[in-house]
Amino acid sequence: MRKALTLTVIVAATVVTAMVASPSQPLDMEHMTFASAAAMMQRTAVASSLLFVWLVGAVVLTLASPRDIRYSSVEVRVAPLHCAMVGLVALTSFVLTAIVFTYLVPYVVGTPLLIALGVFAILTKIYGMVAIFHAIGTAVAGVRSIDQLSQRRWLRGDIAITVTGLLILGAIRLIPFLGSVVWAIASVFGIGVALATKFGRREPWFLTWRSAAA
Amino acid sequence: MTEAHAEFLQDPEGHASHLDECADCRAIVAGLNAPLSHEPIRIDRLPVAAWEGAAYRSWGFVAACSAVLAVTAIVMCRMAGVSPLHAVSADASISQWRTLLTVMTGALRHATLGWQILFGCAFVAVNTILFLLLRRPTRGIDA
Repeated sequence: MRKALTLTVIVAATVVTAMVASPSQPLDMEHMTFASAAAMMQRTAVASSLLFVWLVGAVVLTLASPRDIRYSSVEVRVAPLHCAMVGLVALTSFVLTAIVFTYLVPYVVGTPLLIALGVFAILTKIYGMVAIFHAIGTAVAGVRSIDQLSQRRWLRGDIAITVTGLLILGAIRLIPFLGSVVWAIASVFGIGVALATKFGRREPWFLTWRSAAA
Repeated sequence: MTEAHAEFLQDPEGHASHLDECADCRAIVAGLNAPLSHEPIRIDRLPVAAWEGAAYRSWGFVAACSAVLAVTAIVMCRMAGVSPLHAVSADASISQWRTLLTVMTGALRHATLGWQILFGCAFVAVNTILFLLLRRPTRGIDA
């Protein structure tokens, strides 16, 4: 009974998603050019290829530091607003700092600073997105009780949960326009949680001075 | 402390009836804000901690998902007439970011002094806010 109900819910959710993803109006085949159809096909091909790259990266990163990813995942579920705020401010800070560093490019110091900022931003985004995959996977397919944990064979453990989250977010990303918006929002959350938790290390970014008496 | 008190404090759920006759113990339990249940705790129904079962590596699941995703990507790229490597490198290139930065920096260079001062103030303000936000300790439970 429970399995039938679960299956029904999944099928219904798939139908609803397909209805949302599909265009509300039938495709205007008369005015659709070959170039626009090819461009649409190429966008889907690029997105699916990138998803595979993300999958490899997510598995490697989760294998390398599962505890850090897990901690960041917990943090983004416990304090999503804080993570979103840190992400938005950090994104703005990256752009403004990059403009300042571009100013310095004619001098010797500008280029290495710009490269360092770029590398840091890319690493932050990659780590944060993997943490978001883990958080989404846990929210959707996470184990709720010890009984459930012992019954599951495949869908348990950090790697499986991360891959599940990636597949869900990746499927949403394939939806035109909405997918890009959702992916961008996830990136903001990811950058935020990566910086808020210091890449899951739970260390303070800045040391605070306290007197010995306090 | 009487023997009844000691027995209750050692096993509160086993001697829950003691609460009906002892005001002191009722006050202690009320202070703890932990209601006593006569039903035994079922461990298998308890929620799991974040780390429980996390070390398990489900390679079969990962391999199946990777294979499906790889085949889908290859088929889509074949249909679109592009190579998967070209698709990835085209999307991951930083040329668009470089162009955007160059345009923004050029616009700022030719802007009036007021705009440049405003940009400087925004730069300081945003980084100060980021600094203050990063000082806040994290709230996540122990993973």
